[in-house]
Amino acid sequence: MNWLLALVPLLPLLAAAAIAVHILSGRAQGDDAEPVTARLATGATGLSVLLLLIADGLALATGTPGHLHLADWFASGSLRIPISFSADALALSLASLACLLLFLTQRFAVNYLHREAGFHRFFLGLSLFASGMLLILLAGNAALAFVGWELAGLSSWMLIGYAQDRPVATGNALRAFVINRIGDAGFILGIGLAWIWLGSMEWPAVGEAGRLDTLNAALLALGFVLAALAKSAQVPFAPWIARALEGPTPSSAIFYGAVMVHAGVYLLLRLEPLLLQSPAVLVLIALLGGLTAVYGWLAGYAQTDVKSGLMFATTTQVGLMFLWIGLGLFPLAAWHLALHAMFRAWQFLASPSYMHMVRNAAPPPPAWLGRCPGLYRAALQRFWLEPLADWLLLRPTRSLARDVRDLDDRVLSRLVGLPDQVKVAAFSERRETEADVIRGHGLAGGAMAWLAGHLHRFEERLVLQPGGGVFTVFLKRLGELLRGVEGLLERPRYLLLLIMATLVVIL
Amino acid sequence: MLRILLLLPLASALLLAVLPTGSVRALRAVAGIAASATLGYAIWLLSGFEIGDPNIQFPETHAWNPRLGSAFTLGVDGFSMPMVLLAALLTVVAILASGNIRKRARGYYVLLLLLETAILGVFTARDWSLFYVFWELTLIPLFFLIDRYGGANRSKAALNFVLYTMGGSVFMLVALLMLYDAAPGHSFAMADLAAGAVRLPEETQIWLFLGLLIGFGVKMPIFPLHGWLPLAHVEAPSPVSILLSGILLKMGSYGLIRAAETLPAAVLALQGWLAVIALFSLIYGGLLAWKQRDLKAMVAYSSVSHMGVVLLGIAALNTAGLTGAVMQMVAHGLVAGALFLLIGLLYERTHTRDIADYSSLVRVMPRFAFFTVLAFIAAVGLPGTAGFVAELHALIGGFARWGGWVVVLSLGVLVSAAYAVRTVGRLFTGPVRAGMHDIPDLSRTEFAAAAVLSAGIVVLGIFPAPALALISASVGQLARVFGA
Repeated sequence: MNWLLALVPLLPLLAAAAIAVHILSGRAQGDDAEPVTARLATGATGLSVLLLLIADGLALATGTPGHLHLADWFASGSLRIPISFSADALALSLASLACLLLFLTQRFAVNYLHREAGFHRFFLGLSLFASGMLLILLAGNAALAFVGWELAGLSSWMLIGYAQDRPVATGNALRAFVINRIGDAGFILGIGLAWIWLGSMEWPAVGEAGRLDTLNAALLALGFVLAALAKSAQVPFAPWIARALEGPTPSSAIFYGAVMVHAGVYLLLRLEPLLLQSPAVLVLIALLGGLTAVYGWLAGYAQTDVKSGLMFATTTQVGLMFLWIGLGLFPLAAWHLALHAMFRAWQFLASPSYMHMVRNAAPPPPAWLGRCPGLYRAALQRFWLEPLADWLLLRPTRSLARDVRDLDDRVLSRLVGLPDQVKVAAFSERRETEADVIRGHGLAGGAMAWLAGHLHRFEERLVLQPGGGVFTVFLKRLGELLRGVEGLLERPRYLLLLIMATLVVIL
Repeated sequence: MLRILLLLPLASALLLAVLPTGSVRALRAVAGIAASATLGYAIWLLSGFEIGDPNIQFPETHAWNPRLGSAFTLGVDGFSMPMVLLAALLTVVAILASGNIRKRARGYYVLLLLLETAILGVFTARDWSLFYVFWELTLIPLFFLIDRYGGANRSKAALNFVLYTMGGSVFMLVALLMLYDAAPGHSFAMADLAAGAVRLPEETQIWLFLGLLIGFGVKMPIFPLHGWLPLAHVEAPSPVSILLSGILLKMGSYGLIRAAETLPAAVLALQGWLAVIALFSLIYGGLLAWKQRDLKAMVAYSSVSHMGVVLLGIAALNTAGLTGAVMQMVAHGLVAGALFLLIGLLYERTHTRDIADYSSLVRVMPRFAFFTVLAFIAAVGLPGTAGFVAELHALIGGFARWGGWVVVLSLGVLVSAAYAVRTVGRLFTGPVRAGMHDIPDLSRTEFAAAAVLSAGIVVLGIFPAPALALISASVGQLARVFGA
């Protein structure tokens, strides 16, 4: 049972690796290659569904095993990150549902993406996502869940930017990724605080935060709540998800309609005991959830295309789930999640054929919205959330970056002696002079050259000078002096004088 | 057993001297086989070496001059075993690199093997008189090797080298004689001299240590005593440069470690000054290396810088520092050996050593470029190379003694990075020059020689544990003397 559960997220990951090898080997081309990739992806997810169903059956027969500890991932000092899984009713049921939806969507995409240029790339991303999502749902601790969280974020980025040649698509992919990183920062904060205050990042331990006072519990919860808000596209992070629709329809269905958008809700459901200890956070969640629901409802009226309309409907529903959680109605939120996931997956997958399915033209916005032009404009502009974020965050960051770059170019580079760009280009053209071989650039280089020059002169003069360093000159003079003395001694009269002097001293 | 280690190259030298053939190839082959046999014997000795035993191993004593108290005593411990291996290895490399010595080849190889005998003698002697004899014995073959086979300025270089070393040796001899005077057993045995030295007043000990320091410092070399080094290294033929910087310099630092064993109180008193000299040598050598345009002079000065690390490690007098010192001796032996080998080979092909003359060699001689870049990276002490292990230990040891002052060591590493990167850039990048596009790449023997040294550098850098285990017992014993 234990290792069976570990296989569930592992299988899609292996499939992703196999597909990557398939792409890298250069054989993933043409019609013949498509079934290979498709079989790898759907096979792995299908097996995961089977494994989960077996686990579900066992759980129904013998009761849920709860928290499972398999092994230690790594341990360093007192830090220990175990590989553990939660196999309670919430995790098992939602994982089975998500896995089934993933399998069906993949099956749908096999035909939908037939002969698309990025067929293999798409299934690589989708398999990665399946692995990440199942890991989020089944992980028994925050660290492991974070791995899944990142895998899901990464694959989302890959698939929003699926149309690599369209600048809008890649730009949107980047934007979604960056906004998700804000949530990741919250997640990491949560993990870190849990580790410092509770000494463990296992979900059950995080839930039993009874030892913490209310403020600390709220702070710990806030980290995770921030992550949930970003992932589930709640106000104020809401706009990224509308941009994320650039991806192919099956990926939109599974990411933003059915599965990933609910990851935040699931995270909050998992943290139920912790949230119940910090009522202020619950109020915040309810407030933001309610705001999001209103935002999605109003903005949804102003949309003119099917996918955007569906997207804002999703935002509204997820906002409502947040509201239920904020009001403490956790089971309601869980049921809402499951039902919404199923229904929305079908809706998204069917969206390309709406034109055929719907006879009448789409209804116009309701009359009362038309009577308040300000509100209508706000809905059309999605309440200016994005320009606001740009104005608050992007612009200051940009100008700070510009200032820092100026500092780098004008001061630091010159100090360190890095050549600036213009000079580098001119360098190869110029014939270098003799002095260029040994030259210091910048302040540090200049100082080094100066010091080296002086030492070199010292070395040349005193230690190495050819034919006569100071020491040699001194020796030579001494030698001449001694030779003079010797010469004097050789003359008989001085020799006699010396002998007589010696005799006098002795006597 | 160690006797055979000394007799092997000596007997081969005698055999070479009387060998009835004039063929350079045959002479070279015989010399190569003799050096390889010596290396093989040294490796065989290593397999019998008890790791973890700090005592002298393979001891043997023969009476030499009983009235004077000198004896032919040999033995190795954790300090000398790596040096013996290094000496044997570098001699093989030097003979592999001697391909272009064609004139007077017989004398050349005889002198080379005699030199190996003397070097191995220095590292295995356990009697100060024997040590001194071998110490002086290295001068004779080296003098002739530089004077007869060297570059344009060779006579001056050879004379300079011999005079410097002899001048240092005089101080060493006086110090040794005074120690002998105080020895209780009336002998030159190292243990006996150390026993006598303890009873001397500290001031006398300091003077004696200073005498030894001058003698060993000339060889090492440390800052004011390095005047012979640039000349000798530049003028010597490349294989001799390999031996000079690869192993001859290590004789100095090895002797200093032995002196520290003999006169611990004096070393402890002079510890701070030794560190100052070490750090100054480090920066001084590095900056002058940066200032050189002659490649050989550059590597020669970088040796001054690298031996500063050794002195710093010794001066730290703790386990980490001494480990760093011995590791740096080995690492620098391999790195400097590799650099002189490669630069020598380059000089044979281009007949210039000015870095400004080279350009874009990576296209012409990729194998040469690979090994040279590796050697320069190792000279900077990048992780994954032997120099890193050594510098890290010296840094840790120095930090434990003097705290933040060892930042100078890092500064020295920075300077060495400056000249290494510049040289690599000069040698291998830039436009292709007219005279530089049909240089042959390394031949098979040259490749083998460079590969052996590079493999040593990388293996010691990635798996330093066996080498550290080899020296740890002796290092631990010496460090305990100083209470660390």
